[in-house]
Amino acid sequence: MNDTQWPRYEVFQQEAEGKPVLHNGTVHAADIELALLNARSVFARRPDATQMWVAPAEQITSRTREELAADPPAAEAAGAAEAYYIFGKLAEQAQASLLGEVGAASGEAAVAAALAQFGAEAALRWWAVPAAAVLKSDPADAGPMFAPAREKTYKDQAEYPVVTMMRQLRAKANTNHKDTENTK
Amino acid sequence: MLDHKALARYLIALADDELILGHRNSEWTGHAPILEEDIAFANLALDEIGHSRLWYELAADLLGEDRARFPDRQVFLRPAEEFRNLQLVELPRGDWAFSMLRQYLFDVFEQHRLAGLSESTQASLAEVAARIRTEEIYHLRHTRAWVTRLGLGTEESNRRMQAALDALWPYARGLGGALPGEAGLPAGVVPDSAALYEAWLAEVSAFLAEAGLTIQPGSPDLQSPISRADHSSDFAALIEEMQSVARLDPEATW
Repeated sequence: MNDTQWPRYEVFQQEAEGKPVLHNGTVHAADIELALLNARSVFARRPDATQMWVAPAEQITSRTREELAADPPAAEAAGAAEAYYIFGKLAEQAQASLLGEVGAASGEAAVAAALAQFGAEAALRWWAVPAAAVLKSDPADAGPMFAPAREKTYKDQAEYPVVTMMRQLRAKANTNHKDTENTK
Repeated sequence: MLDHKALARYLIALADDELILGHRNSEWTGHAPILEEDIAFANLALDEIGHSRLWYELAADLLGEDRARFPDRQVFLRPAEEFRNLQLVELPRGDWAFSMLRQYLFDVFEQHRLAGLSESTQASLAEVAARIRTEEIYHLRHTRAWVTRLGLGTEESNRRMQAALDALWPYARGLGGALPGEAGLPAGVVPDSAALYEAWLAEVSAFLAEAGLTIQPGSPDLQSPISRADHSSDFAALIEEMQSVARLDPEATW
Protein backbone atom coordinates (compact mmCIF):
# COMPACT_ATOMS: atom_id res chain seq x y z
CA MET A 1 0.00 0.00 0.00
CA ASN A 2 2.20 2.82 -1.25
CA ASP A 3 -0.48 5.35 -2.11
CA THR A 4 -2.45 6.27 0.98
CA GLN A 5 -4.10 9.29 -0.60
CA TRP A 6 -7.80 8.75 -0.29
CA PRO A 7 -10.24 10.93 -2.25
CA ARG A 8 -10.42 14.59 -1.29
CA TYR A 9 -13.54 16.17 0.24
CA GLU A 10 -14.18 19.88 0.65
CA VAL A 11 -15.50 20.89 4.06
CA PHE A 12 -18.07 23.67 4.54
CA GLN A 13 -19.11 25.02 7.87
CA GLN A 14 -21.58 27.44 9.39
CA GLU A 15 -20.28 29.14 12.50
CA ALA A 16 -23.68 30.10 13.94
CA GLU A 17 -27.32 30.36 12.90
CA GLY A 18 -27.74 33.22 10.43
CA LYS A 19 -24.05 33.30 9.50
CA PRO A 20 -22.89 32.31 6.01
CA VAL A 21 -21.91 28.75 5.13
CA LEU A 22 -18.17 29.00 4.38
CA HIS A 23 -15.58 26.73 2.84
CA ASN A 24 -13.26 25.78 5.67
CA GLY A 25 -10.77 23.31 4.24
CA THR A 26 -10.18 19.84 2.88
CA VAL A 27 -10.03 16.33 4.27
CA HIS A 28 -9.09 12.98 2.76
CA ALA A 29 -11.30 10.01 3.57
CA ALA A 30 -12.18 6.55 2.30
CA ASP A 31 -15.82 7.59 1.81
CA ILE A 32 -18.16 10.48 2.50
CA GLU A 33 -19.40 9.33 5.94
CA LEU A 34 -15.82 9.06 7.16
CA ALA A 35 -15.13 12.44 5.53
CA LEU A 36 -17.77 14.04 7.76
CA LEU A 37 -16.34 12.31 10.84
CA ASN A 38 -12.83 13.45 9.90
CA ALA A 39 -14.06 16.97 9.20
CA ARG A 40 -15.52 17.08 12.70
CA SER A 41 -12.19 16.03 14.22
CA VAL A 42 -10.14 18.44 12.18
CA PHE A 43 -12.37 21.52 11.95
CA ALA A 44 -15.10 21.48 14.61
CA ARG A 45 -13.15 23.88 16.79
CA ARG A 46 -12.03 26.31 14.05
CA PRO A 47 -14.11 28.29 14.46
CA ASP A 48 -17.27 27.23 16.29
CA ALA A 49 -19.85 25.35 14.21
CA THR A 50 -23.57 24.67 14.05
CA GLN A 51 -23.48 22.62 10.87
CA MET A 52 -20.91 21.02 8.66
CA TRP A 53 -21.09 19.80 5.05
CA VAL A 54 -18.72 17.65 3.04
CA ALA A 55 -18.66 17.18 -0.75
CA PRO A 56 -16.32 15.13 -2.97
CA ALA A 57 -13.83 17.54 -4.57
CA GLU A 58 -14.00 15.71 -7.91
CA GLN A 59 -17.71 16.53 -8.26
CA ILE A 60 -17.25 20.26 -7.78
CA THR A 61 -17.04 22.49 -10.88
CA SER A 62 -14.60 25.30 -10.21
CA ARG A 63 -13.99 28.36 -12.47
CA THR A 64 -12.03 31.56 -11.88
CA ARG A 65 -13.21 34.92 -13.21
CA GLU A 66 -10.27 34.86 -15.70
CA GLU A 67 -11.14 31.37 -16.93
CA LEU A 68 -14.75 32.43 -17.42
CA ALA A 69 -13.74 35.58 -19.36
CA ALA A 70 -11.51 33.53 -21.69
CA ASP A 71 -13.94 30.65 -22.09
CA PRO A 72 -17.58 31.52 -21.20
CA PRO A 73 -19.54 28.56 -19.83
CA ALA A 74 -22.30 26.96 -21.90
CA ALA A 75 -25.68 27.64 -20.35
CA GLU A 76 -27.26 24.65 -22.11
CA ALA A 77 -26.56 21.04 -21.20
CA ALA A 78 -28.23 17.76 -22.05
CA GLY A 79 -30.12 15.87 -19.36
CA ALA A 80 -32.35 16.66 -16.46
CA ALA A 81 -31.74 19.68 -14.23
CA GLU A 82 -30.61 19.10 -10.68
CA ALA A 83 -29.89 21.45 -7.77
CA TYR A 84 -26.43 22.96 -7.33
CA TYR A 85 -25.10 24.99 -4.41
CA ILE A 86 -23.18 28.01 -5.65
CA PHE A 87 -20.17 29.14 -3.65
CA GLY A 88 -18.21 32.27 -4.48
CA LYS A 89 -14.81 33.49 -3.35
CA LEU A 90 -15.62 37.17 -2.91
CA ALA A 91 -12.15 38.50 -2.10
CA GLU A 92 -8.57 37.29 -2.45
CA GLN A 93 -8.21 36.48 1.28
CA ALA A 94 -11.80 35.31 1.83
CA GLN A 95 -13.12 31.76 2.20
CA ALA A 96 -15.65 30.74 -0.45
CA SER A 97 -19.13 31.56 0.78
CA LEU A 98 -22.51 30.00 -0.05
CA LEU A 99 -24.38 32.43 -2.34
CA GLY A 100 -27.44 30.36 -3.15
CA GLU A 101 -28.85 27.50 -5.21
CA VAL A 102 -29.47 27.07 -8.93
CA GLY A 103 -31.00 24.32 -11.03
CA ALA A 104 -28.92 23.11 -13.99
CA ALA A 105 -28.15 19.99 -16.03
CA SER A 106 -24.35 20.18 -15.52
CA GLY A 107 -21.78 21.87 -13.31
CA GLU A 108 -20.78 24.18 -16.14
CA ALA A 109 -24.40 25.14 -16.80
CA ALA A 110 -24.78 25.77 -13.05
CA VAL A 111 -21.86 28.22 -13.18
CA ALA A 112 -23.47 29.96 -16.18
CA ALA A 113 -26.74 30.21 -14.24
CA ALA A 114 -24.86 31.60 -11.22
CA LEU A 115 -23.21 34.30 -13.37
CA ALA A 116 -26.64 35.32 -14.65
CA GLN A 117 -28.16 35.32 -11.17
CA PHE A 118 -25.39 36.92 -9.07
CA GLY A 119 -23.45 38.90 -11.73
CA ALA A 120 -20.13 37.96 -13.36
CA GLU A 121 -18.23 40.42 -11.15
CA ALA A 122 -19.65 39.06 -7.89
CA ALA A 123 -16.89 36.50 -7.26
CA LEU A 124 -13.23 35.84 -8.09
CA ARG A 125 -13.84 32.09 -8.19
CA TRP A 126 -17.08 30.12 -8.56
CA TRP A 127 -17.87 26.66 -7.29
CA ALA A 128 -20.92 24.66 -8.34
CA VAL A 129 -21.52 21.77 -5.93
CA PRO A 130 -24.23 19.21 -6.84
CA ALA A 131 -26.63 19.25 -3.88
CA ALA A 132 -27.10 15.48 -4.16
CA ALA A 133 -23.36 14.93 -3.59
CA VAL A 134 -23.30 16.87 -0.30
CA LEU A 135 -23.46 15.12 3.07
CA LYS A 136 -24.64 17.48 5.82
CA SER A 137 -24.39 16.99 9.55
CA ASP A 138 -27.76 16.13 11.06
CA PRO A 139 -29.20 19.21 12.85
CA ALA A 140 -30.62 16.90 15.53
CA ASP A 141 -27.05 15.78 16.11
CA ALA A 142 -25.51 19.23 16.63
CA GLY A 143 -25.13 18.62 20.37
CA PRO A 144 -22.88 15.55 20.28
CA MET A 145 -21.22 16.77 17.08
CA PHE A 146 -20.09 20.22 18.18
CA ALA A 147 -20.70 20.81 21.90
CA PRO A 148 -17.85 18.68 23.33
CA ALA A 149 -15.21 20.67 21.42
CA ARG A 150 -16.26 23.98 22.99
CA GLU A 151 -15.04 23.02 26.45
CA LYS A 152 -11.71 21.82 25.17
CA THR A 153 -9.77 25.03 24.86
CA TYR A 154 -6.57 23.01 24.53
CA LYS A 155 -7.79 21.95 21.09
CA ASP A 156 -8.07 25.56 19.91
CA GLN A 157 -5.10 26.72 17.89
CA ALA A 158 -5.54 30.19 19.40
CA GLU A 159 -4.46 28.65 22.72
CA TYR A 160 -1.00 28.06 21.29
CA PRO A 161 0.53 31.42 20.30
CA VAL A 162 3.61 29.63 18.93
CA VAL A 163 4.21 32.06 16.07
CA THR A 164 4.13 35.09 18.38
CA MET A 165 6.36 33.36 20.90
CA MET A 166 8.89 32.36 18.24
CA ARG A 167 8.94 35.93 16.94
CA GLN A 168 9.60 37.26 20.44
CA LEU A 169 12.35 34.69 21.02
CA ARG A 170 13.98 35.55 17.69
CA ALA A 171 13.78 39.28 18.43
CA LYS A 172 15.41 38.65 21.80
CA ALA A 173 18.09 36.44 20.26
CA ASN A 174 18.85 39.11 17.63
CA THR A 175 19.13 41.82 20.29
CA ASN A 176 21.49 39.67 22.35
CA HIS A 177 23.50 38.92 19.24
CA LYS A 178 23.86 42.65 18.42
CA ASP A 179 24.87 43.40 22.00
CA THR A 180 27.61 40.80 21.75
CA GLU A 181 28.78 42.25 18.41
CA ASN A 182 28.90 45.78 19.84
CA THR A 183 31.04 44.85 22.79
CA LYS A 184 33.69 43.22 20.59
CA MET B 1 -25.95 4.56 53.66
CA LEU B 2 -23.61 4.98 50.73
CA ASP B 3 -20.14 3.52 51.19
CA HIS B 4 -17.98 6.34 49.81
CA LYS B 5 -14.84 4.24 49.74
CA ALA B 6 -16.55 1.50 47.72
CA LEU B 7 -17.85 4.01 45.15
CA ALA B 8 -14.42 5.64 44.96
CA ARG B 9 -12.82 2.26 44.20
CA TYR B 10 -15.41 1.69 41.49
CA LEU B 11 -14.71 5.10 39.92
CA ILE B 12 -10.93 4.69 40.08
CA ALA B 13 -11.25 1.39 38.17
CA LEU B 14 -13.37 3.16 35.52
CA ALA B 15 -10.83 5.98 35.38
CA ASP B 16 -7.95 3.49 35.04
CA ASP B 17 -9.68 1.89 32.01
CA GLU B 18 -10.06 5.26 30.31
CA LEU B 19 -6.55 6.39 31.16
CA ILE B 20 -4.75 3.28 29.96
CA LEU B 21 -6.85 2.97 26.80
CA GLY B 22 -6.23 6.66 26.06
CA HIS B 23 -2.53 6.17 26.67
CA ARG B 24 -2.31 3.15 24.35
CA ASN B 25 -4.27 5.01 21.65
CA SER B 26 -2.03 8.05 22.00
CA GLU B 27 0.82 5.83 20.78
CA TRP B 28 -0.75 6.08 17.30
CA THR B 29 -0.08 9.81 17.17
CA GLY B 30 2.15 10.32 14.16
CA HIS B 31 1.64 6.70 13.03
CA ALA B 32 -2.02 6.47 11.95
CA PRO B 33 -2.70 5.47 8.33
CA ILE B 34 -3.45 9.02 7.18
CA LEU B 35 -3.17 12.54 8.62
CA GLU B 36 -6.90 13.08 9.18
CA GLU B 37 -7.19 9.78 11.00
CA ASP B 38 -4.13 10.63 13.05
CA ILE B 39 -5.85 13.82 14.23
CA ALA B 40 -9.16 12.07 14.83
CA PHE B 41 -7.66 9.24 16.88
CA ALA B 42 -5.38 11.56 18.85
CA ASN B 43 -8.50 13.58 19.71
CA LEU B 44 -10.25 10.44 20.78
CA ALA B 45 -7.29 9.43 22.97
CA LEU B 46 -7.33 12.87 24.60
CA ASP B 47 -11.05 12.52 25.24
CA GLU B 48 -10.52 9.21 27.05
CA ILE B 49 -7.78 10.69 29.22
CA GLY B 50 -10.07 13.67 29.91
CA HIS B 51 -12.81 11.26 31.02
CA SER B 52 -10.39 9.51 33.37
CA ARG B 53 -9.71 12.87 34.99
CA LEU B 54 -13.44 13.43 35.60
CA TRP B 55 -13.75 10.04 37.34
CA TYR B 56 -10.59 10.54 39.45
CA GLU B 57 -11.94 13.95 40.55
CA LEU B 58 -15.25 12.43 41.64
CA ALA B 59 -13.34 9.76 43.55
CA ALA B 60 -11.28 12.51 45.23
CA ASP B 61 -14.50 14.23 46.37
CA LEU B 62 -15.77 10.97 47.87
CA LEU B 63 -12.50 10.35 49.70
CA GLY B 64 -12.15 13.93 50.93
CA GLU B 65 -8.98 14.36 48.85
CA ASP B 66 -7.82 17.43 46.93
CA ARG B 67 -9.44 17.08 43.49
CA ALA B 68 -6.74 19.23 41.87
CA ARG B 69 -3.87 16.95 42.96
CA PHE B 70 -5.52 13.55 43.29
CA PRO B 71 -5.69 12.67 39.55
CA ASP B 72 -2.00 13.38 38.95
CA ARG B 73 -1.01 11.34 41.98
CA GLN B 74 -3.12 8.41 40.81
CA VAL B 75 -1.71 8.54 37.29
CA PHE B 76 1.93 9.39 37.84
CA LEU B 77 2.87 8.16 41.30
CA ARG B 78 0.80 5.03 41.87
CA PRO B 79 2.61 1.67 41.61
CA ALA B 80 1.63 -0.49 38.60
CA GLU B 81 0.17 -3.24 40.78
CA GLU B 82 -2.41 -0.85 42.25
CA PHE B 83 -4.01 -0.05 38.87
CA ARG B 84 -7.39 -1.72 38.34
CA ASN B 85 -7.82 -1.38 34.57
CA LEU B 86 -8.81 -4.33 32.40
CA GLN B 87 -6.10 -6.23 30.57
CA LEU B 88 -8.14 -5.51 27.43
CA VAL B 89 -7.08 -1.85 27.47
CA GLU B 90 -3.42 -2.40 28.33
CA LEU B 91 -2.52 -4.78 25.49
CA PRO B 92 -0.01 -3.24 23.03
CA ARG B 93 -1.73 -1.28 20.27
CA GLY B 94 -1.20 -3.92 17.56
CA ASP B 95 -2.20 -2.95 14.02
CA TRP B 96 -4.90 -0.45 13.04
CA ALA B 97 -7.59 -3.16 12.95
CA PHE B 98 -6.68 -4.24 16.48
CA SER B 99 -6.84 -0.72 17.91
CA MET B 100 -10.13 0.10 16.12
CA LEU B 101 -11.79 -3.13 17.24
CA ARG B 102 -10.59 -2.76 20.84
CA GLN B 103 -11.94 0.78 20.97
CA TYR B 104 -15.23 -0.41 19.46
CA LEU B 105 -15.68 -3.28 21.95
CA PHE B 106 -14.86 -0.95 24.83
CA ASP B 107 -17.05 1.90 23.59
CA VAL B 108 -20.17 -0.25 23.20
CA PHE B 109 -19.80 -1.44 26.77
CA GLU B 110 -19.17 2.11 27.93
CA GLN B 111 -22.32 3.36 26.20
CA HIS B 112 -24.37 0.80 28.11
CA ARG B 113 -22.64 1.58 31.39
CA LEU B 114 -22.95 5.37 30.92
CA ALA B 115 -26.66 5.00 30.17
CA GLY B 116 -27.01 3.27 33.56
CA LEU B 117 -24.73 5.69 35.39
CA SER B 118 -26.53 8.73 34.00
CA GLU B 119 -29.61 7.51 35.92
CA SER B 120 -27.68 7.00 39.13
CA THR B 121 -29.27 8.08 42.41
CA GLN B 122 -25.93 9.78 43.11
CA ALA B 123 -26.50 13.15 41.36
CA SER B 124 -22.83 14.12 40.83
CA LEU B 125 -22.16 10.75 39.23
CA ALA B 126 -25.22 10.98 36.97
CA GLU B 127 -24.16 14.42 35.78
CA VAL B 128 -20.62 13.43 34.80
CA ALA B 129 -21.91 10.26 33.10
CA ALA B 130 -24.35 12.27 30.97
CA ARG B 131 -21.55 14.61 29.90
CA ILE B 132 -19.21 11.80 28.92
CA ARG B 133 -22.00 9.97 27.12
CA THR B 134 -22.53 12.85 24.67
CA GLU B 135 -18.89 12.69 23.67
CA GLU B 136 -18.79 8.92 23.40
CA ILE B 137 -21.51 8.93 20.72
CA TYR B 138 -18.91 10.04 18.18
CA HIS B 139 -16.26 7.63 19.40
CA LEU B 140 -18.65 4.82 18.72
CA ARG B 141 -19.58 6.13 15.28
CA HIS B 142 -15.94 6.38 14.39
CA THR B 143 -14.97 2.87 15.43
CA ARG B 144 -18.18 1.29 14.09
CA ALA B 145 -17.39 2.82 10.72
CA TRP B 146 -13.89 1.35 10.75
CA VAL B 147 -14.87 -2.12 11.95
CA THR B 148 -17.50 -2.38 9.20
CA ARG B 149 -15.21 -1.07 6.46
CA LEU B 150 -12.29 -3.28 7.37
CA GLY B 151 -14.51 -6.28 8.03
CA LEU B 152 -16.21 -5.97 4.64
CA GLY B 153 -13.28 -4.40 2.78
CA THR B 154 -10.55 -6.41 1.11
CA GLU B 155 -9.38 -9.92 1.83
CA GLU B 156 -6.44 -8.48 3.78
CA SER B 157 -8.52 -6.04 5.83
CA ASN B 158 -11.00 -8.80 6.74
CA ARG B 159 -8.15 -11.16 7.66
CA ARG B 160 -6.59 -8.53 9.91
CA MET B 161 -9.89 -7.63 11.56
CA GLN B 162 -10.69 -11.30 12.16
CA ALA B 163 -7.22 -11.82 13.67
CA ALA B 164 -7.83 -8.81 15.92
CA LEU B 165 -11.16 -10.28 17.05
CA ASP B 166 -9.60 -13.67 17.76
CA ALA B 167 -6.89 -11.99 19.85
CA LEU B 168 -9.17 -9.54 21.69
CA TRP B 169 -12.20 -11.71 22.44
CA PRO B 170 -10.72 -13.65 25.39
CA TYR B 171 -9.82 -10.30 27.00
CA ALA B 172 -13.13 -8.60 26.17
CA ARG B 173 -14.94 -11.01 28.48
CA GLY B 174 -13.28 -9.16 31.37
CA LEU B 175 -15.74 -6.32 30.71
CA GLY B 176 -18.52 -8.26 32.43
CA GLY B 177 -16.74 -8.82 35.74
CA ALA B 178 -17.98 -6.78 38.71
CA LEU B 179 -15.92 -3.64 39.31
CA PRO B 180 -14.06 -3.14 42.58
CA GLY B 181 -16.50 -1.81 45.16
CA GLU B 182 -19.56 -2.70 43.05
CA ALA B 183 -20.82 -5.41 45.43
CA GLY B 184 -20.87 -2.98 48.37
CA LEU B 185 -23.08 -0.37 46.70
CA PRO B 186 -26.87 -0.09 47.20
CA ALA B 187 -29.12 -0.65 44.18
CA GLY B 188 -29.56 2.36 41.89
CA VAL B 189 -26.09 3.85 42.38
CA VAL B 190 -24.34 1.93 39.59
CA PRO B 191 -25.69 -0.51 36.99
CA ASP B 192 -25.09 -4.24 37.43
CA SER B 193 -22.03 -5.17 35.34
CA ALA B 194 -23.26 -8.68 34.59
CA ALA B 195 -26.50 -7.27 33.12
CA LEU B 196 -24.53 -4.75 31.05
CA TYR B 197 -22.44 -7.61 29.73
CA GLU B 198 -25.52 -9.40 28.40
CA ALA B 199 -26.67 -6.26 26.56
CA TRP B 200 -23.14 -5.67 25.25
CA LEU B 201 -22.77 -9.26 24.07
CA ALA B 202 -26.04 -9.15 22.14
CA GLU B 203 -25.15 -5.86 20.46
CA VAL B 204 -21.55 -6.64 19.46
CA SER B 205 -22.37 -10.20 18.33
CA ALA B 206 -24.97 -8.90 15.87
CA PHE B 207 -22.77 -6.05 14.66
CA LEU B 208 -19.64 -8.18 14.18
CA ALA B 209 -21.61 -10.78 12.22
CA GLU B 210 -22.88 -8.03 9.88
CA ALA B 211 -19.29 -6.87 9.46
CA GLY B 212 -18.34 -10.32 8.18
CA LEU B 213 -16.52 -11.32 11.38
CA THR B 214 -16.87 -14.53 13.36
CA ILE B 215 -16.61 -15.02 17.10
CA GLN B 216 -14.73 -18.30 17.40
CA PRO B 217 -16.86 -21.02 18.95
CA GLY B 218 -15.60 -22.27 22.28
CA SER B 219 -14.30 -18.85 23.28
CA PRO B 220 -14.13 -18.43 27.03
CA ASP B 221 -17.14 -16.64 28.46
CA LEU B 222 -18.06 -14.55 31.47
CA GLN B 223 -17.75 -17.59 33.73
CA SER B 224 -14.02 -16.95 33.99
CA PRO B 225 -13.40 -13.19 33.93
CA ILE B 226 -9.84 -11.93 34.28
CA SER B 227 -9.31 -10.12 37.57
CA ARG B 228 -8.58 -6.41 37.34
CA ALA B 229 -5.77 -6.96 39.84
CA ASP B 230 -3.89 -9.10 37.27
CA HIS B 231 -1.88 -7.32 34.63
CA SER B 232 -0.11 -8.55 31.51
CA SER B 233 3.65 -8.55 31.09
CA ASP B 234 3.50 -5.38 28.93
CA PHE B 235 1.81 -3.32 31.62
CA ALA B 236 4.85 -2.60 33.78
CA ALA B 237 6.66 -1.08 30.79
CA LEU B 238 3.65 1.12 29.95
CA ILE B 239 3.47 2.48 33.51
CA GLU B 240 7.21 2.98 33.70
CA GLU B 241 7.20 5.07 30.55
CA MET B 242 4.03 7.00 31.47
CA GLN B 243 5.40 7.89 34.91
CA SER B 244 9.06 8.42 33.98
CA VAL B 245 8.97 12.22 33.64
CA ALA B 246 6.77 12.87 36.69
CA ARG B 247 8.95 10.65 38.85
CA LEU B 248 12.08 12.63 37.98
CA ASP B 249 10.70 15.42 40.17
CA PRO B 250 7.47 14.46 41.98
CA GLU B 251 7.17 17.93 43.59
CA ALA B 252 7.48 19.90 40.35
CA THR B 253 4.67 22.30 39.42
CA TRP B 254 3.34 22.07 35.85
